[in-house]
Amino acid sequence: MSMNLKDKYAIVGIGYTEQGRVPNRTALSFYVEACANAIKDAGLKKEDIDGLICYRYFQPARGEREVTPYVTAQCLGLSPKYLSQEANCARSHLYHALGVLEAGLCSYVVIAYADNALSSQRLIDDIDPDKAVFGQIGYPAEYAMAAQRAMYTFRTGPETWKEIAVGQRKWANLNPKAYFHNRPLTYEDYYNSKWVVEPFRVPDCCLISDGGRAYVVTSVERARDLRRPPVVIMGIGQHNPSSYIDQSTWMAGPSGAKIAGEIAFKMAGITLDDIDACEIYDCFTYTVELTLQDYGFFRPGEGLDWFKDGTIAPGGRLPVNTSGGLLAEAYFMGMTPLTEAVMQLMGRCGDRQLGARTGTREPEIILCSDNGATFQTHCCTILRRF
Amino acid sequence: MTYRKPLPQPNADTKPFWDGCKQHQLRFQKCRDCQYVRWPPSIICPRCHSQDTEWIVASGRGRVYTFAVYHQAFHESFREDLPYITAIIELEEGPHLLSNIVGCNPREVKCDMPVEVVWEDITEEFTLPKFRIATQPDVNS
Ligand SMILES: [Zn+2]
Repeated sequence: MSMNLKDKYAIVGIGYTEQGRVPNRTALSFYVEACANAIKDAGLKKEDIDGLICYRYFQPARGEREVTPYVTAQCLGLSPKYLSQEANCARSHLYHALGVLEAGLCSYVVIAYADNALSSQRLIDDIDPDKAVFGQIGYPAEYAMAAQRAMYTFRTGPETWKEIAVGQRKWANLNPKAYFHNRPLTYEDYYNSKWVVEPFRVPDCCLISDGGRAYVVTSVERARDLRRPPVVIMGIGQHNPSSYIDQSTWMAGPSGAKIAGEIAFKMAGITLDDIDACEIYDCFTYTVELTLQDYGFFRPGEGLDWFKDGTIAPGGRLPVNTSGGLLAEAYFMGMTPLTEAVMQLMGRCGDRQLGARTGTREPEIILCSDNGATFQTHCCTILRRF
Repeated sequence: MTYRKPLPQPNADTKPFWDGCKQHQLRFQKCRDCQYVRWPPSIICPRCHSQDTEWIVASGRGRVYTFAVYHQAFHESFREDLPYITAIIELEEGPHLLSNIVGCNPREVKCDMPVEVVWEDITEEFTLPKFRIATQPDVNS
């Protein structure tokens, strides 16, 4: 993707829904509500929307059909010029949106993700028979294997990861929408938690959530006239090592974050020192460590010292996952980190707002990551205040 | 006793592998042009795109590339095995194969530890290749 995308496009509206444990709702209902709320939040009419991208990965709940972008568009009363389903964790949806905007095919694109995974109680999302015969089922073990290899390769482990779990939980306790709001986590709690798949304990693993999230992307030119202060995309980069975990030789880094980050920083024309906060895709604590390490915030094995003493927590020198993240707020794929960055840069975060209120730097530039499957995909997006 | 766990579902690509397991042979595709031994099976060599392929029988020896210890069952049929170990084995011939490490305490397992294949005949039709800590001296060390 060419370098002239810098500062040309912006995120102008966010759609939330009720989230956490929300029984008696279909996944479709969350998609539709999140999209409608994003359109309204941007100050747009549904007639303005000419692109719709529905992110989908997990299988539908029993009795529900697949949430195709068709049915979402139908329920929103849209007939867009561009309709797409991002699937299987490729995390390229923002690339797609920028592509159709840059090509002049669309003016306003909505991207959405939703699910009712918690209340519909699906235990197994997709079973690969060649793995399932050995009991390798679910993502925790895939990432646990990566984390185990990292523990063998450089200095890391629960001692490092507890800092991530505890730091993010502090942010969640400032966010009334977070699943773990009012449920603090101490180091002792962390070590006393049950193993899920060793070396991961329960607080190392992300939430499963009901709810949805959506956002609207348009050009900075069009954004000027809208309701909210736009949040500008300074840089974006993606890299897809692609191979599944059993064939991966980068599970202890460098992951796709390295090249994706280099592309995004080059486009933005900034360095790590310019970053005020990070919203990092945190399916597991180790994912946060490896991502920040691959971006260059610290060298392999130096994470423990870097995270220590609340670096990423409220009051810390580099806030990370200020909503609580996927670990403690809600699981909406890379939408959770990206939309939180936008809300922070719009100054709409209440008690968790970066700046004087939380003893942190006033946010001008926030770095976001998205990561798919088991370190198979990485997208790095750098956002700035308008 | 009936076998309650998921069974292999051989397809056109993987059938020669599972047929090999039935005969207690670990079979992989080898590229005749660049000699790369690959897994999972595929129509072409991912390294050089040659279609000229033969099946070889691997030694069954390798090392633990990495592993994980399940303390919760994600499928009911594995509950009785908790805690159990899944691992990625780096075979002598090169391919990485996902399997189990059996016959030891999870605390004994370390990355790069030498392991060797053991065969579990689970049904009349299927045999699974699993691994145990090597009893033979590691030829590569
Ligand atoms: Zn070849």
